[in-house]
Amino acid sequence: MRELVGRLAALDPDASAAVQVIAYFDRLAEGRAGLEATVRGVAVLAGCAARLVDEERAVFLRVLADGHREDHPSDENPDWPRVRSGEVELLLEKPSPPSPVDLMVLERGVALARDVLDRTRGRAPDPALVELVVDASVGETARSHAARRLRLGERARAIALPDGVVLVEPHGEARHPLGAVRAGVGPVVPVGRLPRSYADAKVALRFADDVLGPRVVHYDDLGGLAAVAAAVGPATAPSPDVVTLGTLPAWALETLHAVVTSTSLRTAATHLTLHHSTLVDRLGRAEHLLGWEVREPGGRFRLQLAFALRRLHAHPE
Amino acid sequence: MTAVPFDPELAAALAVISQNMPSSLTPEMIPLLRQGMAGFTPSEDLTLDGIVDLTDVDLGDGVSVVVCRPVAAPTPAPAVYWIHGGGMIMGDHRVGLADPLAWAVELGLVVVSVDYRLAPEHPDPAPVEDCYRGLVWLAENAADLGIDPARIVIAGGSAGGGLAAGTALLARDRGGPALLGQMLIYPMLDERNDTVSSHQMSGLGVWDHTSNDTGWSALLGDRRGGPDVSIYASPSRATDLSGLPPAFVDVGSAETFRDEDVAYATAIWQSGGQAELHVWPGGFHGFDVMVPQAALSQRAKHARLDWLRRLLGH
Repeated sequence: MRELVGRLAALDPDASAAVQVIAYFDRLAEGRAGLEATVRGVAVLAGCAARLVDEERAVFLRVLADGHREDHPSDENPDWPRVRSGEVELLLEKPSPPSPVDLMVLERGVALARDVLDRTRGRAPDPALVELVVDASVGETARSHAARRLRLGERARAIALPDGVVLVEPHGEARHPLGAVRAGVGPVVPVGRLPRSYADAKVALRFADDVLGPRVVHYDDLGGLAAVAAAVGPATAPSPDVVTLGTLPAWALETLHAVVTSTSLRTAATHLTLHHSTLVDRLGRAEHLLGWEVREPGGRFRLQLAFALRRLHAHPE
Repeated sequence: MTAVPFDPELAAALAVISQNMPSSLTPEMIPLLRQGMAGFTPSEDLTLDGIVDLTDVDLGDGVSVVVCRPVAAPTPAPAVYWIHGGGMIMGDHRVGLADPLAWAVELGLVVVSVDYRLAPEHPDPAPVEDCYRGLVWLAENAADLGIDPARIVIAGGSAGGGLAAGTALLARDRGGPALLGQMLIYPMLDERNDTVSSHQMSGLGVWDHTSNDTGWSALLGDRRGGPDVSIYASPSRATDLSGLPPAFVDVGSAETFRDEDVAYATAIWQSGGQAELHVWPGGFHGFDVMVPQAALSQRAKHARLDWLRRLLGH
């Protein structure tokens, strides 16, 4: 092999060298070789140390020309030939310009490394697959195939984010940290019914609010409010209570929202970092602007519904 | 019969190697093979940039040795008596010395590599008798060579492994030089060429059933399979493997020699002897020499060095 590889490198970049490089990486892929074997192939075929970096997955791997793993690197040289595929970068520790054979080795190597990483370390799922799996107009077979490729298991849920972004995750596995942006979380369903989970997630998303919160809303927690969502569309005129809320200053909205979502005034005061008596004072003025009392059950419910309707009007679809 | 799959990394290298070397070697290919096919041409500097002294010694009658002594080795030093491979039909004593020389430098030992006569021009018993003669010479000249005669290890790969086993049997039966150990690297042991593995890997990998026929027929001619084959030519025929030095035996799981090599280690145990056996999963014949960078090759090399280190009491 050493001699063959020497020969191979000495060859002009003719069809034969290319074929051998391709054959090498094809067979590695066929045998489901691991990441180290892939980088080793790159190092040996290029005749120099090779390093693979995937910062997203926190992978760093370096193999010397003789095939030994040596992860303690010298400083990286900006002149080294390199190639990138997604988050995966593969470098040859030799000066540029790379030979045509080097280029082919890099290209084949990074493609295989990325496949291996995707297979073994998971990845940000292909958005096209996710769209497929939540699309009711797509056939059952195509959807279940996509679900398998996404490794969703038997049961999963969809998560709707603003601007039509959709995520899916298997039951019991929180793949996506939520809370940075508005999110609606759909119910866990058999994977064949993910379009339903996505539809529900989009309903939940309408109740999510960036300013007052909650930012993440679970459809399962909505109960009857979910039915209300259907009643509010882009063309629906806001009810008088929603109009009233729209006229309130920010301090009044914050105060009312804190009170209506807390178990006690004391909790609400803590949440707003206000003294209890200050909160009572503010609440009185806010109730006056609002036009009804919110400290008894009927008024409290009316205010909760008004906030919910307000969010639905803010996110009409 | 389903073949054993190759280790993925080795399979990838084999895809390249096999373009230059077919699995099945036939007798008419011997001259071409001897000219040195790609992958087997000696190109190494045996002095390793001057840290190993080389001395050629002609023993007469077509047999010679090269003595490789690291300049830093002690006196007296232990010795590895190395017998090269090549299917009994090709190769010489300066080919494939990279690993023995690495042991020499690492462990401070002297490597003595023998150039025995090759079949078919020199059929059995010439090769094994030449190897034995070289061993006797080494033991008798140990003092002059700065070698400790009590610490001689015989070693070889492939045909060299088979010849090492045969030479160790000769030394036992003739009351010859004492051996500290025998390192049999995927040894070629059984001229009958009829084990499951010898058929299973037919047409695949390196040194398949046909190649093995070519080698053994060159060595033994019409005597193959008959009653006149000695245990020194075909050590698998030995029924008593007692009284031998501790053995290291290793072999790939995906090669012709797998079953005969495992059986040889088993027979050593059954005779009350000591053997360390490694079967490298998915290894083809000579994988460590042809694909030295592979993970499996690194493990095999490490295991051999480790055995030698323990044997020599380092």
